[in-house]
Amino acid sequence: MSLQYLKEAAAAGDGEKLIRYVRLHFGDGSEDAGRREIDKGWIQALLPLLDVPSTDRAFILETLRTRDTATLAHLYFHLHFHFVQRSGEWIHDGDL
Amino acid sequence: MTEHAKPPRAAFAPFMMGHHFGVPFHRDLQRRIIEDCLDLVVTAEQSGTIRDLPLTWAQARREGMEIERRLGLRG
Amino acid sequence: MTATSEPGPMGEGRQQLRPGLWATVNERYPGSMITKRDLVPLAPLGKPLSECRLTFVSTSGVQAKGSVPFDTVHPVGDYSFRRVPSASRVDELEIHQLKYPTADAHRDLNVIFPIERLQELAAEGVIGGLTEHFFTFIGYNMDPERLERTLAEDIAAAVSDEGADIALAAPA
Repeated sequence: MSLQYLKEAAAAGDGEKLIRYVRLHFGDGSEDAGRREIDKGWIQALLPLLDVPSTDRAFILETLRTRDTATLAHLYFHLHFHFVQRSGEWIHDGDL
Repeated sequence: MTEHAKPPRAAFAPFMMGHHFGVPFHRDLQRRIIEDCLDLVVTAEQSGTIRDLPLTWAQARREGMEIERRLGLRG
Repeated sequence: MTATSEPGPMGEGRQQLRPGLWATVNERYPGSMITKRDLVPLAPLGKPLSECRLTFVSTSGVQAKGSVPFDTVHPVGDYSFRRVPSASRVDELEIHQLKYPTADAHRDLNVIFPIERLQELAAEGVIGGLTEHFFTFIGYNMDPERLERTLAEDIAAAVSDEGADIALAAPA
């Protein structure tokens, strides 16, 4: 989808078009695969927290406080792929 | 796709994505593809020329596997 | 082996290998495909190949180790390019992209980035030489207008600055 298409969807509040694009991006062109990838990413992010290990909350809070929205959003996409890769089930061709 | 992009000269090989210059260790094929492209640079007479290279993917794969066997890379 | 088709005007008698692909991609990613109406004027070579300096432009995502990885996660794509020293060894290069299978490229990079074959052709005098760098980018860029305005212009300028007589361009 072109940037114009996405911007029109954003202006119209058409969440369905926007999330469809995200699913296609994550699912390598398949929306169903994209749904599964989103779930997989969250499962992988949940697993290391089950034992409540100590984490660097200061870093997290500092990052959220000081970084601009676009950088945080870009990080969010990076984190998705990072956790999906950790699952060992890699549906994409190629390497990050 | 090539027809839509309209490069001035194009050589086309029916190979899978990620293999536009052939198969692993098949130096001769890789070189021939480039040489065919270079020939097209010299000989093409009109913009939009697309030349189909005289190759099939199946043949390229077979030759590549034979080369790998000779190199001891495959059983 | 299939017979070689005669070079000729495009569109005549060509059989599409994957009919409907264009329509499918346009349906899934509307507005993402570049469509050109005009042909680029053919520039005749003007001198023998053996005197020509060649550059290679590729969407393979091949880049020098240690250079900033192509951005494979950004939802709208990466509009940057990398300069890859044309004298590089294959073990000095790596691939960052998600849109084509790379198993064979990892075994022999030349299947997608024939740097060794081009080095050989230059060493043998078949071509006059190589530009100092080759140029790479990745194919995931969903804004064709931005692509044309930024990346395409940037690479064209870079290629020109390096004195290329011939540009071999390949998708991935």
